Amino acid sequence: MQTILDIIFSVVLGLHLLMILVAAWHTWTGENSAVRLAGLDLASTLTTAVLVIVGIISGNSLFLDVAIVTALLGYLATVTIAKFISDQKVF
Amino acid sequence: METVQQIIAIVLLVLGTFLSLVGVIGFIRLPDVYTRLHATGKVSVFGLVFLLIAASILTPLTAWKGILLIFFVLLGSPAISHSIASAAYKAGVPLVNTKRDDLKSKLERGSGKDV
Repeated sequence: MQTILDIIFSVVLGLHLLMILVAAWHTWTGENSAVRLAGLDLASTLTTAVLVIVGIISGNSLFLDVAIVTALLGYLATVTIAKFISDQKVF
Repeated sequence: METVQQIIAIVLLVLGTFLSLVGVIGFIRLPDVYTRLHATGKVSVFGLVFLLIAASILTPLTAWKGILLIFFVLLGSPAISHSIASAAYKAGVPLVNTKRDDLKSKLERGSGKDV
């Protein structure tokens, strides 16, 4: 049972890291800033997901606190950049 | 821990990963930013929430953290998608092969060059 768990955990973690690379690649080479912002938002969500998975693997729930902070910061950053894109000023 | 909880958590984990994989593939293949936001919305809602349910099942003592994060993610994800889409529309990003644009006459749009 334990080896099956390790295999599943490593596959899930590898897939999520691969997805973060894809999102980061699209954040880097998006054709306009809205696509880049969508890629950034996807990367931050997937980072939160990786934190939750590491929390599941290691068993202690400290990673869930970090995931909460990452989710909130990602939300704030995305909304601020979106405001900057639409109006060319933030405040 | 009895294996019933672990099996449910593993099934949720795999399902969440599969759904976020579908979301990222959608993000790659879809033509413009408005359709891509459908894909990123799926990733953050379905992928993350299933992972958090699995995490709450596997660490039952601190399940309230998972539930708190589920609440934040379900609250924030639509707001994020809406803000990106309205920012892109206001900035003038062109819609790819669209048949109808209800907002065309009502909202003044940017040139889309400086985006």
